[in-house]
Amino acid sequence: MSTQAVLETPATGDAPPIPVRSAEFEDPVLEARSLVKRYGDLEAVAGLDLSIQPGEVYCLLGPNGAGKTTTIHLFLGFIEPDAGRVRVSGFDVARNALDARRRLAYVPEQVMLYRNLSGLENLQYFAALGGRETLSSERLTDILVDVGLPLPAVGRRVAEYSKGMRQKVGIAIAVAKDAEALLLDEPTSGLDPKASREFSELIETLRGRGVAVLMATHDLFRAKESGTRIGIMRHGRLVTELSTDEIGHADLERIYLDHMQE
Amino acid sequence: MIRHIVRKEFTDLLRDGRFRWCAAIVGVLLLVSLGSGLVETRRAEAAHTAARETARDHWESQGEKNPHSAAHYGIYAFKPRLPLSFLDQGVDPYTGTSVWLEAHRQNDFLMRPAQDATAGQRLGALTAAQVLQYLVPLLIILLAFGALAGEREQGTLRQLLATGISRRDLALGKALGVAGALALLLIPAAIVGSAAITLGSPGPAATPFARGTVLAAGYLAYFAVFVALSLAVSAWVRSARTALVALLGVWVLNGLVAPRVAVDLSKWLHPTPSAVEFARTMEREVRSGVPGIERPDRGETTARLLAEHGVETVDDLPVNVIGVYLQESEEFANQIFDRNYGDLWNRFERQGVVHEALSVAAPLLAVRTLSMGLAGTDVEQHRHFATAAEQYRRDLMRRMNGDLAENSRTGETYIATEDTWAEVPPFQYDAPSLGWVLQNRTLSLGMLGLWLVGAFLVAGSLVRRAEVA
Repeated sequence: MSTQAVLETPATGDAPPIPVRSAEFEDPVLEARSLVKRYGDLEAVAGLDLSIQPGEVYCLLGPNGAGKTTTIHLFLGFIEPDAGRVRVSGFDVARNALDARRRLAYVPEQVMLYRNLSGLENLQYFAALGGRETLSSERLTDILVDVGLPLPAVGRRVAEYSKGMRQKVGIAIAVAKDAEALLLDEPTSGLDPKASREFSELIETLRGRGVAVLMATHDLFRAKESGTRIGIMRHGRLVTELSTDEIGHADLERIYLDHMQE
Repeated sequence: MIRHIVRKEFTDLLRDGRFRWCAAIVGVLLLVSLGSGLVETRRAEAAHTAARETARDHWESQGEKNPHSAAHYGIYAFKPRLPLSFLDQGVDPYTGTSVWLEAHRQNDFLMRPAQDATAGQRLGALTAAQVLQYLVPLLIILLAFGALAGEREQGTLRQLLATGISRRDLALGKALGVAGALALLLIPAAIVGSAAITLGSPGPAATPFARGTVLAAGYLAYFAVFVALSLAVSAWVRSARTALVALLGVWVLNGLVAPRVAVDLSKWLHPTPSAVEFARTMEREVRSGVPGIERPDRGETTARLLAEHGVETVDDLPVNVIGVYLQESEEFANQIFDRNYGDLWNRFERQGVVHEALSVAAPLLAVRTLSMGLAGTDVEQHRHFATAAEQYRRDLMRRMNGDLAENSRTGETYIATEDTWAEVPPFQYDAPSLGWVLQNRTLSLGMLGLWLVGAFLVAGSLVRRAEVA
């Protein structure tokens, strides 16, 4: 079964499928207003305004320390903003962090899993905690295989997995949750080119289902390939926003480097 | 939601070789200590039963003699082993379990294993109570120190919380997962313990299962305190290693430092005389009396009896002056014993209160006192038995002296028959009720409850504020 097929197959069990949103949905799923986060004298996020609609893939580009991961952590409610507001599907993260997180899926740069459990058991665990406890083992196995994990590895303990294999399980966890929004922090880190390509297809499928995606990445090619909009961050600020329809790969690289040299 | 966390924690622990080894070692030690405690208790009880029967047989077959000689011949009283004493020997190895009851003296207890043990034996002795009080908390620490700090360090905590579960549910699930793993150890131990109570002698306590239930609840509360403390520290500190070091520090303070401090502080606040000093004081006071407790005078006793009976000479008295005088001497000595032993017991009790009060700093002190109380091996129940044995001695002496006084005349050589000894009822001891024990242990129960509530409140607060990364 292809990634597309897996995602389009209705979830088995009692859990109601999350309704597919249309791209014309008016309220943003992910929204930041005048967002500020400071660490001592360092302003990691400095007045960020961001709005991501259903079916939109927003790629945050920027050098290390630009504030991309901090922005994602603010959406997850792991840290509290010093000023401004973050909302997920209308839920103010500061006041309703749990409601907000239940509508999110998250893939960190380095997916960490439980070494004594197999890839499937890890997925079962995270899926159950994310409210998808009724998904069958067969269905979860399909998801793992479709994100690129070899079938023989599905039942092996994660202690034997490579970084790329763990990353694929992390992506499978996000897929299985069937969330309204997806937060990706360098998700293709450790993936081989084929898996990266499959990942792009997966994002495209999710976008088609109305999922709002915020992806922090250094990978300009992947951003142009998967994104619908690109924001370039520097020193905690969004220095520019671009529509991927309007620019080519070369333009993006030039614009990015121009901003980094300023 | 929580059940998924519990199941995962349980599976993860079972697959962890470190847990399997630690649990196997603690489990074997627990079962061995339970078994050896049971064997030792049954052996001691059998030895006591045989000795009690022999002592009674000797008493009844001592032959015809003067009752006062019989009073000096004396008889042994044996402290019965309560059904739960195989779990916790308490103070028995130090206080002794048998006492020789004879005229004029309130003797020290005999059969003190600690007195006869070599240094090596003292170090090597391991009871189920020690395993439960020291090793199980250590195992809990080893299981739970990384509960949150480890997840944070490995990076799994942010992925977990991103699923939408609350910190409270996560901590509760982890606590229950640890509890489930512990249950693998404790359930077999509880089955062995229950079988031991069922198969063992019912003893003089009619409520071994009620005592056992309260004891189990007390230990579970103690373990829950350690689970909560481990979660609290794991949520509070940044790394799993720091959590482990901090928790081992708590374990050392609880298990090694606090008991030593409690002993020294209680002795300093309420000093007790040495055994030699105590014996000398008693001997001196029995010899000379003390103000308010005068030694009886045989001449005065004779004069009083003559006056009471309205006769001129002792030959005309219907009672033997010697018998009356001996009883008056007994009663005088009893007052000296009550004065000295009463003071000593009161000091022990005040020391016990210091111990219990200090459990505000170490839950071990509370659970240890509670454990000894429910096993029937604490100082209070030793006093309860000693008081009953002493009362029996006094009744025996009154009976012997009364027989001499009433069945002979002064100056006459009186020999009582063997029937006299057989008429003396054997010593029967009824152990105190569970209510009596719990009433004595109110402070320990309160402290343990305080620790339980406090540890969970602190854990709840720290878990809520735990950093994700």
